[in-house]
Amino acid sequence: MEAVTGHVSHGAMIRLRVLVVLALLAMAGVKAAGQAAPSPYAGSEACQTCHEDIFNAFAKNPHHLVETDARPGWKAGGWQGRACESCHGPAQKHTESASAEDIRNPAKLAAAAAGRVCLSCHLNQPTHAGRLESSHAKNDVSCTACHKVHGNGPSGLVARTASAINQQCSSCHTGVWAQFQRPSHHRLPEGAMSCVDCHNPHGSIRPAMTQAFGANEPGCLKCHGEKRGPFAFEHAPVRFEGCRSCHEPHGSANPRMLARQEVRNLCLECHANLPRVTNTNAALGVVPPAFHDLRSPRFRNCTVCHQKIHGSHVDRNLLR
Amino acid sequence: MKLLMAIMSLVPLAAQQPPPDAKPAAASETASPVPASESWLAGSIDLGYRGRTNVAGSLDTYRSVVNLGSGPKLLGAEFTLTDPKRRIFDEVRVRAYSWGDDPYATFHLSAKKAKLYDFSSDYRDIAYFNYLPSYADPLLGRGIVLNEQSFDTRRRFAAFELDLLPGNWFIPYLAYDRASGSGTGVAAFVSDANEFPVPNRLRDETNLYKGGVRFELRRFHATVEEGGTAFKDDQSLYQAAGPQNFGNSTNPFLGQTLYLSNLLGAYGIRGTSFYSRALMTANLTSWLDLYGQFLFSQPDSSIHYQQSDNGNLVLQSQLLFYNGQQYLVSAAAKLPHTSASFGGELRPLRRVRVIESWLTDRLHEGGTATSVNQLFTAPNRTTQITALLASSLATNYSQQQTDLFFDVTQRLTLRGAYRYVWGEAGDTILPPAGLASADRGKLRRNVAIGGVTFRPSQRLSISGEAEGASTGGTYFRTSLYDYQKVRAQARYQAAASLSLSADFSLLNNQNPLPGVHYDYLAHQNSLSFLWSPGGGKTWEFQGSYSRSTLRSAIGYLSPQDLQPQQSLYRDNAHTATALVDLKVPGISGFAPKITAGGSFFISSGSRPTSYYQPIAKLWLPFGKNVAGFAEWRYFGYGEAFYLYEGFRTQMVTAGLRLTR
Repeated sequence: MEAVTGHVSHGAMIRLRVLVVLALLAMAGVKAAGQAAPSPYAGSEACQTCHEDIFNAFAKNPHHLVETDARPGWKAGGWQGRACESCHGPAQKHTESASAEDIRNPAKLAAAAAGRVCLSCHLNQPTHAGRLESSHAKNDVSCTACHKVHGNGPSGLVARTASAINQQCSSCHTGVWAQFQRPSHHRLPEGAMSCVDCHNPHGSIRPAMTQAFGANEPGCLKCHGEKRGPFAFEHAPVRFEGCRSCHEPHGSANPRMLARQEVRNLCLECHANLPRVTNTNAALGVVPPAFHDLRSPRFRNCTVCHQKIHGSHVDRNLLR
Repeated sequence: MKLLMAIMSLVPLAAQQPPPDAKPAAASETASPVPASESWLAGSIDLGYRGRTNVAGSLDTYRSVVNLGSGPKLLGAEFTLTDPKRRIFDEVRVRAYSWGDDPYATFHLSAKKAKLYDFSSDYRDIAYFNYLPSYADPLLGRGIVLNEQSFDTRRRFAAFELDLLPGNWFIPYLAYDRASGSGTGVAAFVSDANEFPVPNRLRDETNLYKGGVRFELRRFHATVEEGGTAFKDDQSLYQAAGPQNFGNSTNPFLGQTLYLSNLLGAYGIRGTSFYSRALMTANLTSWLDLYGQFLFSQPDSSIHYQQSDNGNLVLQSQLLFYNGQQYLVSAAAKLPHTSASFGGELRPLRRVRVIESWLTDRLHEGGTATSVNQLFTAPNRTTQITALLASSLATNYSQQQTDLFFDVTQRLTLRGAYRYVWGEAGDTILPPAGLASADRGKLRRNVAIGGVTFRPSQRLSISGEAEGASTGGTYFRTSLYDYQKVRAQARYQAAASLSLSADFSLLNNQNPLPGVHYDYLAHQNSLSFLWSPGGGKTWEFQGSYSRSTLRSAIGYLSPQDLQPQQSLYRDNAHTATALVDLKVPGISGFAPKITAGGSFFISSGSRPTSYYQPIAKLWLPFGKNVAGFAEWRYFGYGEAFYLYEGFRTQMVTAGLRLTR
């Protein structure tokens, strides 16, 4: 029994020694492998060492969530503890060399490349459904042109108050902002409205990146609901080319932001086609009947009579 | 022993589990973006009083353009509430501006709790006063100054939105919007051979409800939303029995003077709609992003219009004079509207991107109207006219575009694109009136686009885009036809304290078709700068100047004799804004600040106009949490052709800012 025991014990001991050696070798192998390929990531605390002001400010930033949270849209396993490197890339080399060459700075990248850094997390969100159709995307306006990634003010990453939004947009669209200084304008300079009330800077299915009301109706109707219809008798340009066929929505010296100084000019420039039984290939809009004698002041302002110019439920001539 | 062996053999595996760079710890404990030492309430409130001098010139125009009045005001309030224990909310933000009978008051409230909800609400109350004598006044030529299209209304907007489980991959949301308008105005009651200015009561309301779900996954996103609206418009025209209203035409018609004795007209408009919205984005591989949208809405409306009027009026088509009328209209319309877009960005090479997009928008409207017009021509004698009309309006618009981007270097990107646009549109009312029964148009347009983005250094960026199109058919005479568009922007950081930006745009549109000969040219050049030496510690100066010109000429036919005429429009404008901030050395760190500047607009051409708005402001800190301010503003408006519309006024506002 003892011999058997001793035999078993001896064999077991040999196997045990072999396994211990193998385990030690495996551990050593892992350690060696770890030494061969150190992580390229340094962690946010390493960034704090030199960039403490940014690090502290970042703690109040909505992006700080990246530091503490995992989310399906983000990198597998999350970026916890490495929020800085989620945008700036692996920083281990930079921490060792302290060279700007060894770290990615999105501000110095081409706009599209900088945008892709943001989109690596933010692409699959509803704001980007029309992004590729937007003139911002096509003119290489990067996300950081509007969003301050390190921003920690009360508004977070982007301007929120009407006046701040308008200031931001007008810093590029100087000419558009000048139009708002005209006497007849939407109330943007007064702070009652902002550019994003009418435009979606991320893109829209509607022309000029304008907001949509409901699903696909013009965003203007959100405020001007009484002009929405549908009307039994429509005014075709309203539907086909929108409010801009007659109005300058950013501002005008003409009353009601009209594109012409007198209403009759605006109307007659389109209503100048001779009537035909079937008007198949000419522009829409026929010349008014002959009793509209422009020499009489009564007929110089079309909307006195055609007051339901945006569409009527009652009268085919848009009179009531 | 086996257990020991197993544990020993698993040691290396366990050693491989946590990557040395992963630091999952210290997670939620450090999540608080607000250090505990900060106050639970932070913000400021501006209270003051505004005094305005009497308006010299046209008060109606002043109210149409500026409309600021005297009185105590809540000029602004912004504060944030934070709950350190995060029980019901993490933080609540409140903003309010221009309360106290100002023409545009706004209020915003948002509240959120991480991973639970995100709520925001907005409220705006905007006065819409518009009474410009030169607009819609058919008697202006006779020196009679009035306005037959004027409003004194308020429009109020409220919006509420609630996102549940923000930050999750599954985000349900709900929203409610309300827009309403009410007030009075002047409108014209149009009868044959004359039109009568009458009081107008306006009241409309739109409620929008929507709800949806967003799925936000790593490589895929989808949003599905359903919504609907309810609308009503109870506009009414009236004129109480009393003095006769002789309307705009004082000339007798076939020897009889036309007049309106009394009127009651009521629009009972009701509308509903529902809509569906589906959005998708996906990045299936590192070199391909896809997106798609499908949008469908179907608003409908119905109306029961009732009109009762008395006077001496005429039905021209039958040369029938009448002294009483009852007019009833029942109408309905429906507007199914489908839009869709689909596209993607392909990155086949490191420097090359291709964006392909396709879009369609299809709108088909149908309406009917039944009317009964009962005319009282003599005691116990009536004439009844009934009519049934049907209308349809349809447009199918499609667009396909291919964009190619080439990054020549990291600083230079070139873009070339081609867009093809096509569509059909039609507008029909049956039975036809006269010769015109149906209008139909076709749209065919080929557009070539080129663009460049150049950033030679961190300090300078230039972008430009040029677009040229040839059109084979268009809907309207003034639509874009053969056109060229150019846009360019540049930004230059000349020094650490000086930044400049410039903006240029041009549109040249030509329609050479016989009888049209449309020639349109508009361009605008703008320059703006910000100069803040020493980071603006002592003073800062910002300004902009914009020069725009617009020239339009198009042929038309004068209705009375069908003679060819030309409609000319010119607008040459200069706009400038400037603002200087000067920080005066103060005592104990409380430095007063003076701001001065303003804007001016001056134009010549078809409607020469000038509009000046200088401003000066003094800011006086009294302590850490209290500051006083005083502001002076001047408004000067003038029109060369309508001198009676000019006005001048100035106002002073003084108040306190309380900060916590």
